Parts: sequence; structure tokens; C-alpha cells
Amino acid sequence: MTKVTIYDPAMCCDTGVCGPVVDPKLTAVAAAVFSLEKKGFSIKRFNLSNDPAAFVENKKVNALLFEKGIESLPMILVDGEVVKTGDYPTVEEFAEWFGVDAAELQTVKQPSNPLNVTIASSGAK
Amino acid sequence: MMTQTFQPAHVSGTPFLFFTGKGGVGKTSTASATAVALADTGKRVLLVSTDPASNLQDVFGMELTNEPQAVGGIQNLFACNLDPEEAARTYRDSVVGPYRGKLPEAVVNQMEEQLSGACTVEIAAFDEFTKLLADERVMDDYDHILFDTAPTGHTLRLLKLPTAWSGFLDESTHGASCLGPLAGLDAKKDLYAKTVQALSDSNQTTLVLVPRPDTASFKGAYRASQELQTIGIDNQVLILNGVYSPVQNEDKVSGAFAHQHELALIEMPAHLKSLPAYTLPFVAFSLTGIANLQRLFNEPKWRPAAAENADHPLAELNSLKDMVEHYSTQNTRVILTMGKGGVGKTTVASLLAVGLAEKGHHVHLTTTDPAAHLADRFEGTGGDNLTVSRIDPELQVESYKAQVMEAAGPLDDEARAYLEEDLRSPCTEEIAVFRAFAEVVAKADKEIVIIDTAPTGHTLLLLDATQTYHKELERSTGEIPVSVQNLLPRLRNPKETDVLLVTLPEATPVFEAARLQQDLKRAGIQAKNWIINQSLAGTGTTEALLQAKAYSEWPWIQKVSSELAERTVLIPWQAQDSIGYDKMKQLVTK
Repeated sequence: MTKVTIYDPAMCCDTGVCGPVVDPKLTAVAAAVFSLEKKGFSIKRFNLSNDPAAFVENKKVNALLFEKGIESLPMILVDGEVVKTGDYPTVEEFAEWFGVDAAELQTVKQPSNPLNVTIASSGAK
Repeated sequence: MMTQTFQPAHVSGTPFLFFTGKGGVGKTSTASATAVALADTGKRVLLVSTDPASNLQDVFGMELTNEPQAVGGIQNLFACNLDPEEAARTYRDSVVGPYRGKLPEAVVNQMEEQLSGACTVEIAAFDEFTKLLADERVMDDYDHILFDTAPTGHTLRLLKLPTAWSGFLDESTHGASCLGPLAGLDAKKDLYAKTVQALSDSNQTTLVLVPRPDTASFKGAYRASQELQTIGIDNQVLILNGVYSPVQNEDKVSGAFAHQHELALIEMPAHLKSLPAYTLPFVAFSLTGIANLQRLFNEPKWRPAAAENADHPLAELNSLKDMVEHYSTQNTRVILTMGKGGVGKTTVASLLAVGLAEKGHHVHLTTTDPAAHLADRFEGTGGDNLTVSRIDPELQVESYKAQVMEAAGPLDDEARAYLEEDLRSPCTEEIAVFRAFAEVVAKADKEIVIIDTAPTGHTLLLLDATQTYHKELERSTGEIPVSVQNLLPRLRNPKETDVLLVTLPEATPVFEAARLQQDLKRAGIQAKNWIINQSLAGTGTTEALLQAKAYSEWPWIQKVSSELAERTVLIPWQAQDSIGYDKMKQLVTK
């Protein structure tokens, strides 16, 4: 199954609501990640303020951080490979990586059976 | 109301004693004197300050840390200072330290900056506080632990936290991200439960409400009493601090002074009258040093004033009218009044606003003080040039939350709950208030803006926030309001902004304002003008006790005018708060 890892810059909370201005992108990402997690997909976030060790342990992340500096955050890894730096994924990108319908990640309605969705999406890949 | 003079035996029934009240009512003095007296009876006593801008160090004239240490000369008396900002700093170093060299410097700096926010300070403070309250070892070491708590808003937050956080942890569905800064919080759940229990147990905790005999301070005590009762802290007593009775040579000033106390006592809220109440007398000596603290419960309240202090160059000091003139000619756009709670920041801000409006300037007056008594002051009156507003923290938080939820767009129930949970974090209020503050300051393009800022601890956080958030803005992708972008440069420009330090002619508020002056300097803001408020020396009273008090003001007036201030304004003590536009106009234009 596809694994997505997000290395966030130092933030107070994952939604970014503690920042000086509300960043709609960040709020959307937090909501999408939350709903993907609920559906059983493998997605993980590391916040620099809470999990600095993760930024040292992953050699690719660490090297890129030394090379390109803080601008490279947030950094997105799909199955261990860096696919995006300096910006968050769009809902469409999430959908592509996990092989789901983008609309599902923005729904107001909850899926009736999350397990079915997981099977269907891995089958489609 | 029948009251007797307070003696420490009145509160010696519980191990924990909390002193609370509006800033400037003498909590620290009362708590310190009680601690000294309890120690004198042979009890082992620990006195704890939880104020980010603590005065305990000034009272005992020694440096205090978060480790209890013996206080000079007294057997069995220990004191410590749980400065939440210091605790946050220690925590920050322990988190960031191991990553220096392993991550790029800019990355480490970002972590450090993030861990300097209001969240970390709040949590660090609570953690320190809990450690003491729930630690059985500490309980075994002392018979009494006295908390000299910070000004009301901060106290309430600190005391309310245990229930708030216990609830927060229970309801937490995704592992509260905002509590992230302190890892393993959940493991401390038992400790928090113990804290909550100790606080609401009448056999363990006494809440000592300390007001001065005046209406504003009764209001504060009333609010605190009710709010704490609702979270189960029922064992409350009231100590009326500084109740005046003349000793000889009564005059007009002493009559007005005594009358003001009597009036306030009559109008005291019924709820407060129902609590066990004691009084402490108005004294002419400063409550610093152990000898003076011991005098409070024992010796005469005054000694004849030293005559050599009698003539001082009061004439060299400025009046408030001079200050209005100065601002008017300098075309100052933003005026902030700062100082310890209870020194009269609201009064000074209001008087300046009226003075400048009378000079023909358009003036906007606002307050971030959670107690918000600005509305009381104008009682619906106002000049044509003057508008008044208030930054209400609760309203700001609500509108900020609504704004965030709207920006997030349509969400399912769980995602909504997730976002709402983050919005419940302690830093949301800081940010919401900060943004409102920035918006008010932005009005200075069109009119003179005068802001009576909130009590010290809160104010410091607010200004600290201005700095931190400003840096943070540079990397956010959200819409940055222009008001926020312009804020710090404007506050730092002395041609546009003046920060007025307000103090009383007494040790503690002067020290406090001097510390504020230093803090502001670090933030790149120069505060050069001082206001000495409520000076008895300025009244020329001849009543013996008040005169002794007036003479005791001189060293402080001297210190401010010759060492600390470029321009010093002295406002004589006034019979009552000037209420209403016309009365204020008289005061500031005559």
C-alpha cells in the first residue's frame, strides 16, 4: 500500500490555527489527512516542533534540509521518495497517490464502510 | 459588616493557601506577611510566586528560582518563583539542545521560535504548578504552601486549567496536537486529577481574596470568587487590605480618603459580604523586608514623618496637561499606557483621550483589559472627537474561530471536530486578541489611538507575540492583514508611538514598570515617559498617617524622575475616579 509522509515546518498545531493568519491550505491538508487516516490509508505527519528526531533519522529529508534549507519544508515523501518540497499536496495529488476519487476526500458525508474503500483502492492500483 | 483585623491564625487551617485579587491590591505583601507570621509560629512554610512578573523578589530583596530556598533570617520559611516563561525556556532548551548540529541552524531557530509561543508558556506554567501541588514529598516537607498568584486573569487561567485540561484530555480524539509541546502529557493525567482534587477540597485549600476597599477591586474579587466557586473552590475568605482610619490632624484629603473607603464598603457586593471577612490596616511603611512584614500584624501603623523629606521640587514635574500639550505638538499617533495592574492605566488613558479630543484631535480610545471598566468611566458621555471601544477577548475568540471554520470550507463532522479541538488550545485567545490589537493600532492612520493595555503578564505576552508572529508571517501562505504587517514597525517608531509607563509612588509598581521598560527596549521600543499616579505627596495633606505615607513616596518619585524617566508626570491622589467626560475634561485642562 502507498505510504505518504509529510514533514511539516515547526508549527504549534497541525491545523495551523495557532499561527498569526489562518492558512486555508494547511487547514485543508489537516482535514484531508484526517479523513485519509480514518479510511485506513498509510499517511503520517511529522511536525518539526514535536518530532525533530524524524528530520534527523530520515537521511533523504536530512540531506535535503541541509542542502536547500528551511524553504524545502513542508517535504512530501511517497513510498520513501521525495515528491514535493516547499508546498503541501493538493487534494487531487492525495487522490492520485492513493488511487481514490478526489471528491471523496472533500466530502461532507462520511463513508459508510471505510474498509471497503481501502480494498477497492488498492485493487485499482 | 462586622470585621476583625486579620491574623494569620485565621487561615492556618489548610495546607494550601491561594491569594488572589486584582493587580496592586497587595496580594504579595499580604501573602508574604502571612507566610512570615506562620513561620514565626514554628510552621514550615513555602511561599510560591506564579506571576511571570513576580514581585516576591523585591519583597525579600533576593533572587528566587523555581527551587525552594530559605529566606534570610527566618527559620522554616522558604520561597520559590515559578516563572512560567523561565519554565518554558528550560523546556525549550531541553527539546532543541540535542538537535543543534544535527539539523541546519535555520531549522533549529524555527523550532526554538515555535516553542516560544503562548502555548508552551501556558503548559510549562501548569506543569510546574502541578508538580508542586500533587507532589507528596513537597507536602511532607511543609505545613503550609502559600501561592502569591498573578493578577486575576492569569490566576483564573492558572487555577481553571486543571479542570479545563482534564476535560480536554478526556475528550481528546486525535491526541491533542496543541499539547504536543509537552510530550507524555497523558501520562500525567493522574497528577492533574490530584491537582483538581486538592484545589476543590476545603480541608486542603483556602482561597484568600484580597481586595482594597474600592469599587473596582471589589468587582475583581467578586468575579474571581464566583468563577472559582463554579469550579469547586468553596473555601474562601476575604481580606480587605489597606483600610484607612485617620490618626491626627484630619484634613480635607484625609476626610475624602476615609469617606471613599466607607462608601466602597457599603457598596460591596452582597456575595462578598457573605464570606468570612477580615481587614488589614492602611500603613505608611513599605511592606518589604522581613522586619516590616512582621510589623504589619504587631506594631503601630505609622511613625511621625521625617521632616527633612518635607520639601521636594514637585514643581519640576509635569502635569497631565503638559503631556497632552506634548503629544499634540509632536503629532503622536499611538499612545499605549502600560504598568502593573491597578496603577490606573485606564484612568490615565481616558484622561489623555479627553485632553487630546479637547485640543481638536480625533481620538480613538480602546482597552484590552479583560476587566474592561472603560465603559463605566464614560457612562454614555463623550465628546464629538472621541470614540471608545473595547477589545473583548471572548468575542475576539468567537469571531476568530468562525473565520477559521469558514476558511476551512465544507468539512465532515469528524474533520470539523478535529479543527474545533485545535481551536480550543490556549493560544487561540492570544492570537485573536493580538489581531484585534493590530487592527486598532491601524486606525492611527486617521486618528490618535490610545490603548489602555491589559495587566502586565498578559501585556508582555501580547508584545512578545507581536514579535514572534511578525517573524512567522514571512513564511505563511495565508492572507496577511495589512494591520498586522504594519504593527511592529509602527510600535517601534518613536515619532508615531509613545509607550507611557504608569506607576504608583511605591516600590513594587516602580520596579515592575522599570522591568517593563527593559523588556520593551529588548523589543526595540523606547519608553521614556512616566506617569506617577495617585500621589499623596501631590495633595499636600497634613493628616499624620497620610503625611507619613506621602513622605515615603519621595524616594520613588525621586528614582523615577532622576533615573528612569525623560519626562515625569505626577498626578495627585483624587477623591474619586473622575467619571464622565466633563469631570475628566476639568481634570486634564485646568
